[in-house]
Amino acid sequence: MKEVLIEVKDLSVQYTSEGKEIKAVNNISFQVNKGETLGIVGETGAGKTTTALAIMRLIQTPPGKIRNGSVQFDGKDLLQEKESVLRKVRGNKISMIFQDPMTSLNPVYTVGDQIAEVIWLHEKVSKTEARKKAGSILELVGIPAERGSEYPHEFSGGMKQRVGIAIALACNPQLLIADEPTTALDVTIQAQVLRLMTNLKEKLNTSMILITHDLGVVSEVCDKVAIMYAGEIVEYGTLEEIFRNPSHPYTQGLFNSIPNMNKKVRRLTPIVGLMPDPTEIPSGCSFHPRCPKAMKECKSMKPGNIQLNGEHKVSCHLFDETVVRGRVETNEPSTP
Amino acid sequence: MSTNTQVSNELPLPAAKPRIKKKNPYIDIWYRLLKNKLAVVSLGVLVLLVLTALLADVIAPYPANEQNLTNILQAPNALHWLGTDAYGRDILSRIIYGSRISLQVGFVAVTFSVTLGGIIGAIAGFYGGSTDNILMRFMDILLAIPGILLAIAIVNVLGPGLVNVMIAVGIASLPTYARIVRASVLSIRDQEFVEASRAIGESNFSIIRRNVLPNCLAPIIVQATLGVAWAILSAAGLSFIGLGLQPPTPEWGAMLSEGRQYIYEAYWVTTFPGIAIALVVLALNIFGDGLRDAMDPRLKQ
Amino acid sequence: MFRFVMKRLLMLIPVLIGVSLIVFTLMQLTPGDPAQIMLGPQASQEDIENMREQMGLNEPIYVQYFKFLFGIVTLDFGRSIQDGQAVITKIFEHLPATLKLTFAAMVVAIAIGVPVGIISATRQYSFFDHTSTIGALVGFSMPNYWLSLMLIIIFAVNLNWLPVSGYGGMVFLILPAIALGTQTAAVIMRMTRSSMLEVLRSDYIRTARAKGLTERAVIYVHALKNALIPIITVVGLQVGVLLEGAILTEAVFSWPGIGRFMVDAIRAKDFPVVQGSVLFIAFLFVMVNLLVDVLYAYIDPRIKAQYK
Repeated sequence: MKEVLIEVKDLSVQYTSEGKEIKAVNNISFQVNKGETLGIVGETGAGKTTTALAIMRLIQTPPGKIRNGSVQFDGKDLLQEKESVLRKVRGNKISMIFQDPMTSLNPVYTVGDQIAEVIWLHEKVSKTEARKKAGSILELVGIPAERGSEYPHEFSGGMKQRVGIAIALACNPQLLIADEPTTALDVTIQAQVLRLMTNLKEKLNTSMILITHDLGVVSEVCDKVAIMYAGEIVEYGTLEEIFRNPSHPYTQGLFNSIPNMNKKVRRLTPIVGLMPDPTEIPSGCSFHPRCPKAMKECKSMKPGNIQLNGEHKVSCHLFDETVVRGRVETNEPSTP
Repeated sequence: MSTNTQVSNELPLPAAKPRIKKKNPYIDIWYRLLKNKLAVVSLGVLVLLVLTALLADVIAPYPANEQNLTNILQAPNALHWLGTDAYGRDILSRIIYGSRISLQVGFVAVTFSVTLGGIIGAIAGFYGGSTDNILMRFMDILLAIPGILLAIAIVNVLGPGLVNVMIAVGIASLPTYARIVRASVLSIRDQEFVEASRAIGESNFSIIRRNVLPNCLAPIIVQATLGVAWAILSAAGLSFIGLGLQPPTPEWGAMLSEGRQYIYEAYWVTTFPGIAIALVVLALNIFGDGLRDAMDPRLKQ
Repeated sequence: MFRFVMKRLLMLIPVLIGVSLIVFTLMQLTPGDPAQIMLGPQASQEDIENMREQMGLNEPIYVQYFKFLFGIVTLDFGRSIQDGQAVITKIFEHLPATLKLTFAAMVVAIAIGVPVGIISATRQYSFFDHTSTIGALVGFSMPNYWLSLMLIIIFAVNLNWLPVSGYGGMVFLILPAIALGTQTAAVIMRMTRSSMLEVLRSDYIRTARAKGLTERAVIYVHALKNALIPIITVVGLQVGVLLEGAILTEAVFSWPGIGRFMVDAIRAKDFPVVQGSVLFIAFLFVMVNLLVDVLYAYIDPRIKAQYK
C-alpha cells in the first residue's frame, strides 16, 4: 500500500455571478499517492482548474466560495487552516504551473528575480544565495543561468513555461499541480516541456496532478486518471483500467472522439451537444442529455459511485445493479 | 460506420435558423442605463435643470436683476431662500436664470465642437495621406496648449460675451472629437462594404453619413456629455477671472467672482452659485459614465 | 534610452513651432495697437507711428513671425509693454511660485489618490469603496476656484487657522495646494482603482499568490508596479491639468505665479507678456508629457525594448 500524500474529500466550489449561483465543482473526492501522477481530464469548463485552485485555496472570494469538503495534506486540513499556514504550503510544498505562460509571469521583474523570490520566501537563505540558486534551477530547466537577468517578454512561450516550471520546482515541492501546462504551446514544444516536467518530477520524487483535456498526454504521464464532467468526477481508476476499459459513456465518448491507430474508422465520433450551462445543470445524472445510453432513471436520479474491479470507480446507472435489475424485472425498454 | 451516420443525423442542425428579430440597440442601452441608479438620479437632476431653465420666468421668485438696496447681503431667510447679494438681488432667482446661460454655453459650445471636430476627423480619416497628416498635426498642436489657456487666449482675441465664450470653449475641445471620428472612420474605411458602396458610385459624403456616423455615435455621445460638463466649468471659470460674461449677467462664474469681496460677511453669495455649478457638472459626469457603461457593457467591471 | 529621449525631443520641434504659430496668430488678431497701449491715450499720431516702427510692427507679418520665432529660440520673448522689462525675466520670476503650487498640489493629489485607490480596489464593493468612489466623483466635479473660496471661508475666515491668501511659507501653500489638488486626487484615485482591479485579476498575480506571498507583498510588490504604468500616465497628464488649474487658483489666492501674471497681462493688454506666458506654459506642458514618456520606459521594460 502506497503512502497517501493528499486526500481531497467532498470538495464543492461555487461561484456567484450576477446573483446566479454556479456550481463549478460538486462533491468530488480523490487522492494522490507519493510519487504518483494523477491526471484530471475533462472539457473546458468541467471544473478542473477550480479544483486545482481550491486545493491551494486560491479561489477568489468573492465571487468564488469553497462550500464544503476537506483537503488532507501533511496531517492538516488545508481548507481549515489559517492563511499564514497556507502561505507556507504554497510554492513550497504544493506548487502550481499555470496554463498560459504568456500572462503568468510578472512582466516588470526579471525571471531570475521571480524564481529567487520563491526560494528566498521559503528557505532561510540570503537574497544573493537565492539568486544563485535560481540560476542553477534555470539551468535545470534548460535555460542558461545568465538569462535570469532578462525580462519575460524576452522569452518565447515555451521558454516562459520552462521558467514557470522552474518557479514551481524551486523549493522542491511534494506536490506539483500542472494546469494544462502545454495547451498554450506549439505542438513541437509541447512534447519537450512535457518530457522536462516528467523527468524533473522523477528526479525530485514529486507527486503531480496533471490537468489536461488531452488523453494522449495522460497516457504518457499519468498513473491514475480522473474524468471530470460538469464539476463531478464521473470515472476514476488507474491508467490501465481507464484506457483498457473505459466504462462511463462520457469517457467512452472522449475516446471515440480521438483517432485510434488500432481501429479503422472512417470518421471520428464526437460527443453530441455541449457541456451544460453551469447555472442550469441537468437533473439526475448531469450527462444524461448527451448520453447515448440514457435511461429513464438517469433523468431523475443521481448515480452513486460504483466500485468496479481494483481501483476503478464509475458514477453511472448502467453499473448500478439495483437499477439494471429493476429494469430487467419490469421489462422496460432501455431507451427513453 | 453506420453508427457514425446515425450520430451525425442526431446533431442539432442549424438549418432552420430561428428568425432573428431586429432589435433596436438603443432600447437595450436605455434599459441598461435604467439599471444604474446613480445614472437615473443624475438624469433626473439634468431634466430638472432643463425645466428650471425653460420655466425660469415662472419659478424664480424675483427678477434676476431686481436690485433692492435696503436689503443687501441678507443671509438665507424665508423671503430669500439663498440670501441676497451686495445689490440686494435674490441669489436663488439669479441662480435659476443663470441655468439658462450655463446650459446654453454647454450645449452650443459642444454642438459647435462636435460638428466642426467631427468634420475635421471625418475628412482626415477618409482621405488619409497628407490631408490627414496636416489636419491631425494641427489638432495635436491644439492639444499641446492646455484647454483653458487656449480658451483664455481666444476670448482675449474675440472679447467677452456669450457667443465668444461659446466659440472659445468650443475650439478648445475640437481635437477630442476630431480624434474619435477619425479613429472610427479609419476602422471601417477599408472594409469591403465601403469599397462596395464606392464601386456602385456612392458619394464620399453619403458613405460617411451612412456608415461612419452610426459607428462613432456612441463614443461621441458619451464624450459630448462629459464635454458639456467641461464647457460649463470652463465658461464659469472664464467669467470668474473676468474674461467671460460680464456683470450684471446672472452667470454662475461671474456671480462667484462678484461674491469674492464679501467672503468675510456673506458666505452665501459665493457658496450657492458654486454648488449649482458642481451639481450640474456632477450630474453630467455621472450620467456620462453611466452612458458609457450602458453603451459598452464590456467596459464595466 | 538616450536614443529614445532624443527621438522624442525631435518630435517636439514641429509641435512647438505649431504652438508658436497659433499663439502668434492669436496675438495678431487681438484688437488693440500695442504701440498705442504702450504710449497711452494722449500719445500723438506721430509718436505712435515712431513706436510702431521701433517695435517692428510695420514690417511684413511673416518677418514679424520669424523674428518672434528667432526670439523664442534665443529665449528672447520681447519686453513688457507696462514696464519695459524682458518678458523672460518676468516669467522666470513668477515660475517658482507656479511650480511650487503645482508640485504641492500634485503631492496632495498623489498622497490621497493612490492609497485610497489601492484600498478601494482591494476591497471592491465595500463601504469604503463606495464612499471613496462617490467622493471622487464629487471632487472631480467641483470647480477649483469655487473650492478655493470655500476653503478660505472655512479655514481662513471662520476657523482662522490659515491665512486667506498671500505668498511665503508653508502655511500659505496649504489651502491653494488642496484646492488645486482635489480634482487631480479624484482622477488619480479612479485610475489607481481601475488599474489595480485589472492587474489584480491577471494571471501573474495568481502566480504570485501561488508562490505563498502575503497579500501585502502581492499587492505592493507584484500588483502595484504593474498598475503604476497607467497611473503614471495620468499623473503626467494631470501635471498639465494642474498648470491649467493654477491659472484660476492663483487668481483666487493672489498667488504670484505665471497664471496670475498672465491674467493680469491680459487685463492690461500687455501683448508680449501674454504671448510669452502662453507659449511658456504650453512649452512646460509639452515637456512634462515628454518626461512622462521617459519615466514610462523606465518602469515598463517592454517599452524600453522598442527603442534599444
